[in-house]
Amino acid sequence: MSTIETAKLEEHMEGQPNGTSNGYSRPTLSVSEENKNGASKPKGLSNGLRKTAKKYPDYIQIAMPAESRNKFPLEWWKTGIAFVYALFNLILTTVMITVVHERVPPKELSPPLPDKFFDYIDRVKWAFSVSEINGMILLGLWIFQWLFLRYKSIVGRRFFFIIGTLYLYRCVTMYVTTLPVPGMHFQCAPKLNGDSQAKVQRILRLISGGGLSITGSHILCGDFLFSGHTVVLTLVYLFIKEYSPRHFWWYHLICWLMSAAGIICILVAHEHYTVDVIIAYYITTRLFWWYHSMANEKTLKVSSQTNFLSRAWWYPIFYFFEKNVQGSVPCSFSWPISWPPSCFKSSCKKYSRVQKTGEDNEKST
Amino acid sequence: MKEVVLWSPEEVTSWLTDSAVPEYCEPLKNFTGRDLINLTEEDFKKSPLSRVSSDSGQRLLNMIEGLKMAHHMEAHKNGHTNGHVRAGDAARQNGFGAALKLNGVPNGFKKEMIKIPMPEPERSQYPMEWGKTFLAFIYALFCFVFTTVTISVVHERVPPKEVQPPLPDAFFDRFDRVQWAFSICEINGMILVGLWFVQWLLLKYNFAHVYTRRGKKKVWNTVLQQSIISRRFFCIVGTLYLYRCITMYVTTLPVPGMHFKCSPKLFGDWESHLRRIMKLIAGGGLSITGSHNMCGDYLYSGHTVILTLTYLFIKEYSPRRLWWYHWLCWALSMVGMFCILLAHDHYTVDVVVAYYITTRLFWWYHTMANQQVLKEASQTNLLARVWWYKPFQYFEKNVQGIVPRSYHWPLRCPALARGRQVKYSRLVSDT
Repeated sequence: MSTIETAKLEEHMEGQPNGTSNGYSRPTLSVSEENKNGASKPKGLSNGLRKTAKKYPDYIQIAMPAESRNKFPLEWWKTGIAFVYALFNLILTTVMITVVHERVPPKELSPPLPDKFFDYIDRVKWAFSVSEINGMILLGLWIFQWLFLRYKSIVGRRFFFIIGTLYLYRCVTMYVTTLPVPGMHFQCAPKLNGDSQAKVQRILRLISGGGLSITGSHILCGDFLFSGHTVVLTLVYLFIKEYSPRHFWWYHLICWLMSAAGIICILVAHEHYTVDVIIAYYITTRLFWWYHSMANEKTLKVSSQTNFLSRAWWYPIFYFFEKNVQGSVPCSFSWPISWPPSCFKSSCKKYSRVQKTGEDNEKST
Repeated sequence: MKEVVLWSPEEVTSWLTDSAVPEYCEPLKNFTGRDLINLTEEDFKKSPLSRVSSDSGQRLLNMIEGLKMAHHMEAHKNGHTNGHVRAGDAARQNGFGAALKLNGVPNGFKKEMIKIPMPEPERSQYPMEWGKTFLAFIYALFCFVFTTVTISVVHERVPPKEVQPPLPDAFFDRFDRVQWAFSICEINGMILVGLWFVQWLLLKYNFAHVYTRRGKKKVWNTVLQQSIISRRFFCIVGTLYLYRCITMYVTTLPVPGMHFKCSPKLFGDWESHLRRIMKLIAGGGLSITGSHNMCGDYLYSGHTVILTLTYLFIKEYSPRRLWWYHWLCWALSMVGMFCILLAHDHYTVDVVVAYYITTRLFWWYHTMANQQVLKEASQTNLLARVWWYKPFQYFEKNVQGIVPRSYHWPLRCPALARGRQVKYSRLVSDT
């Protein structure tokens, strides 16, 4: 009976778009016609099932909420909001760096703090470029992977929100206490002392260069606690691993190695204190796992007495983004650009019953 | 399906056939269920059973055992209570009705106690497991001692305040130092710890009875809940101090203010090191006791950890209706944290990071502890990817559900208190 119900509901949904394909423009009419005529050649699977359904006229329609609606609605506008949020936080961070730069004590007055890693390992000059190159490769890989995801909007939304929040936290920790430069090799730009125009120019330069030293845009000091490079390296690796097939172990391993090498190179280059890197790693992993656990588990999405995860300050925003996402986003891929309809539609049609209805809706739109 | 004792010979025969031992049908054709159960090995040594049985009836006896277990029978007990060791003999002659008459009581009705297997019949929902609590205590103690050692080590590396002036801090720019503020912070901390300890003592386990193998048993009410909660406290505070060791050790921040009077450096004098460590432990790490005059333990703030954590525990494990109590503790906690900064005893980032890590760890741990589904590692359960997940499972695997929060006065007001508690046990458990 349940299969008949499923078929019946699927027919209701597919009734409109597939109306012409079955040769009936009004599928509801066709059922009554069949009843009148009593016999008709079964045209495709749906008619055959309809006929069997006739044998059980006293069936009760069970409303199945998940079937009648897409389990993973795209909602690109929410992704847009998340993007704006991330952009805002990125700009705020840039502004904050410029502000903090004014307060960094000069390295003659305030020498680098004692750091365990620096005691054991001397500075290697080219290591920071390695770190930044790794970061750029990982980011490129992630964008490439993201383009092929089926549920781009949902995953993109999550990425923007998490990275935005991490940069927001970074603003706070950078601003409240200013650490001195970690090494005497730092060439900090001169202080501006109130020249707002020059400050705006610096901000724009920093944004356009992506905050990387390799592009020559990052000449400002003071943004040490916590390390933005570590955040990006860790977060991109976590996303790559989470949203790729599990059997791609070689891919995961390569990304992990690049990420780890990048992080170690930050320290080897004496560009950040060890505590900056550790705290960045900790906060990134915790936020990522926290967010995804809440998103995957139905019981954790609702705020309740036993659900302590909902006590984070960003829970309302999270709920706004994720309330229509039912369950764990499956790891499925699709071509980013849709081919001309004739190439795909015919082959998918045959398997329409095997594939989920959500996929069919996407393909046909 | 009828109970085995109530089987007639026909049912016995049909069971024997169904169980693929039809060779016994003939010799046992007048056996009732009762006789079947009372079969022993001796019976198989004599005819007629010895003739048909190839393995001295082992297989059949095993199957009968299985039957008995499936029907929760204790045949020997019945045999004794009914006054017949071998009720089978009489029954074989007289049939089922005779068995009834002999006993005077239909079997399985009044005198029998059928045991219905409860999911956890021998254990309570909240087992005591003091061993685990003790382990958690040892862990916390170890982390405390380790922190003290780390502070002592880090102290050697703090740059002198002349060489490395205090770092610029947003709070210090706006608020000047107030000398007595740090004492307030520490007093608040001590009050909160005291309140938490008293609250812990007053905890009560909700269910008065615990089901063991021998039936219902009354158990010491107070200890069960206390065991679990103190275990959690020790685990969390230990882990927080462990994290603190790491952040303190890797990078050494300079003193936050010129008012600091750091003890002189020891440069490898182990004995004095040890003495300092002892002094710090004995004083509980507080400046108010005069034990803490070492510098370098800034990132992150241990005082903030204690203030925040005790408040979180107090709030979590106290009845919801005591809102004024929660507000009081919250105020103590907030004032304490503010006073740390006012006294210029920690950088702002130390307090912020400490608050963040403490709250996140507390919420993470308790969410996992309260939801059964999170206690198993799975693909969707990303909370299980923390490094302390295995120890967490070990500590919390037998705790099913939420530890109820209910209290009772330690002094006995016999009729009044006890009666009242029992009446509302169902209501109280829901708050």
